[in-house]
Amino acid sequence: QGATVAFGGLQQDTSLPVEIQADQLAVNQADGSATFTGNVLVGQGEMRLSAGEVRVEYGPEGGSIERLHASGGVTLANKAEAAESVEAVYTIASGQVVMTGDVLLTQGQSALSGQKLVIDLKAGTGVMEGRVQTVFQPGGSVGGGAGSE
Amino acid sequence: MTAHDNLHSKLVAWLKVILPVAALALLSTLFLVSRTIDPSDAIPYAEVDIEERIREPRMTSPTYAGVTTDGASVTVAADEARPAPEGSDTASATRLRAQIATPDGGQADLLADSGSLDAREGLLTLMGAVEITTSTGYRITTDQVTSALERTDVQTAGPISATTPMGDLTAGRMTLGEDTASSGSYLLLFQDRVKLIYRPAN
Repeated sequence: QGATVAFGGLQQDTSLPVEIQADQLAVNQADGSATFTGNVLVGQGEMRLSAGEVRVEYGPEGGSIERLHASGGVTLANKAEAAESVEAVYTIASGQVVMTGDVLLTQGQSALSGQKLVIDLKAGTGVMEGRVQTVFQPGGSVGGGAGSE
Repeated sequence: MTAHDNLHSKLVAWLKVILPVAALALLSTLFLVSRTIDPSDAIPYAEVDIEERIREPRMTSPTYAGVTTDGASVTVAADEARPAPEGSDTASATRLRAQIATPDGGQADLLADSGSLDAREGLLTLMGAVEITTSTGYRITTDQVTSALERTDVQTAGPISATTPMGDLTAGRMTLGEDTASSGSYLLLFQDRVKLIYRPAN
């Protein structure tokens, strides 16, 4: 039982350069794993993802980033939409962001909460799952269709 | 001496004369024909200017090797080093190459235009265009780095810019040392205003 959500604002080109800013980056010398800590801000095009800590997962042949594992309170924001959760995993190549842990999605006037939100940045759609609850102001025109079973 | 009538005796008589003369001739070639040996160029002299060396003592291509308390091997080599002048104990050197191999298998190679080694403090300071290349594929450039010799602790004095396996990185400071959380593993730490730009390949 999930609610599909239109994410008009979040649609964007995932081949744009990704910029990661943080207070600190620690790189383990043995295996080269890299972890950004201290109000980390990941920016790509219009999208901004801020988190307490972001761990980088490299691609198979190295030299490329496969996934960004964000944790410690994640906020994904775009022009009109914002989503918050405890953790998130952003796979850059496929442009898929999986947010888990009391997810709260606000679109203009309406808000949607659940346990897991899977956003496809390329298509600009999202699927919210797990105890989905929604609040929307009757009467006002709701930016982007938000419905729930 | 009666004349010999048989051939054998004549032959022996002649041989008694010819053989010694031949031996004499052979022996003389040893001295007359052999190459002249010039004793003065037997020892190759170094053409280094002796006075300059005395006035300003220098070592060419010195090397330093040591192991830190946490088991990392440090080797430092330079093109030329000058010992510490009186009253101070920092020897200075030009075109330094240092290598730190940490027990967890990681390795960092440092290059610098000039540097100084303070034996008492056990501190190596690298200056000029310092370049640090780590086994994890990070190439960091900065202008000054200090590295302790007793323990693995490399710190940059100022901001750095680096090319990394995941893109270009800038930060205010960088330290390479043992991870305080789990000893035995080593961390390359970039601090204050770390900024990374990753360009996806596709």
